[in-house]
Amino acid sequence: MMLKCVPSKFFASELNVVIITIMKHLIFLVESNDVFFSRIKMRSGGSETEVTWEDQQNINKFGRLNNRFHELEDEIKIAKETNENFEDASNELILTDEEVVRFQIGEVFAHVPKDEVENRIEEMKEVTSQKLEKLEEEKESVLAQMSELKKILYGKFKDSINLEED
Amino acid sequence: MASSSSSSSTAGGGGGSGQVVAERRGIPGAQFVEDVQTYLTQLGLDVNSTLSFLQERLQQYKLVEMKLLAQQRDLQAKIPDIEKCLDVVATLQAKKGTGEALTADFEVSEGIYSRARIEETDSVCLWLGANVMLEYSLEEATDLLQKNLDNAKASLEVLVADLQFLRDQVTITQVTIARVYNWDVHQRRVRQVGAVPAQD
Repeated sequence: MMLKCVPSKFFASELNVVIITIMKHLIFLVESNDVFFSRIKMRSGGSETEVTWEDQQNINKFGRLNNRFHELEDEIKIAKETNENFEDASNELILTDEEVVRFQIGEVFAHVPKDEVENRIEEMKEVTSQKLEKLEEEKESVLAQMSELKKILYGKFKDSINLEED
Repeated sequence: MASSSSSSSTAGGGGGSGQVVAERRGIPGAQFVEDVQTYLTQLGLDVNSTLSFLQERLQQYKLVEMKLLAQQRDLQAKIPDIEKCLDVVATLQAKKGTGEALTADFEVSEGIYSRARIEETDSVCLWLGANVMLEYSLEEATDLLQKNLDNAKASLEVLVADLQFLRDQVTITQVTIARVYNWDVHQRRVRQVGAVPAQD
């Protein structure tokens, strides 16, 4: 019986377009292949709202947090999948009647007695669960910071800026 | 007049119509603009040239970002590999005390596996790259692999920080483009409004 853990894959998708809307009639499109960039749309009303260095830093921070948020979502998905794999593995292990299990270490499958395999899987499950918990916590904090920043930026720019996802 | 210094550490310079973050490891910092009018006079260019200059800067940033992302992908693939190797060496070391051989199935080719008996051993061979393989004792191997792992993780951290800096510069440039364009539209409207009463 073979037990194998699925390796994680890293992929990036290129999507977004930053649209800068000028007046109600003109639309100026800037193509940007930015990965995971939140759409920041700015529009000019009759008067110009000045952008201070502090505002700029807030916008930068929001962009960074948004990127981190997407990265965290991917990592959480992978961690959950790994956990499920461990669950399936330990279930299979209980069902099997073989004494020696082929357990993957590095690139080879070593013959390991069933008890040792059980312990190893338990350990790996612990580690992954803790990692998953930490990731979820970080995600919560990132979301909280993002809504704080949204309040500040919408407060200053009102309609001239749009910070929502697609 | 604020000008960017070419030191490789981030330094804040004030004065003039903007603040400058010096370049970081070859990435030029984007100049933040306090007032669009002053910025345009400082550059001495008209609106269209400024916009194309800023667009060019944006493209350059994109290129660098692609490069850094590729490097990041490589590192993120390398780290689990090194961890797997460490695992194997640790298992061999654990087996050393017991006196029994390790039986393992390994891949000969896609879908074809063969059985191997690994006797107790004091050394392993490590592939160093460039068709070079060296024999190490188990302790030395663990040390070497651990050192490689730490280096890889440190490089990854630096890379992530670079990417963050880069993304900030991209944001600043995009916002500057929007503001210059807005300012230009605003100017045109003002001129139009000024021209109409003159026609009466």
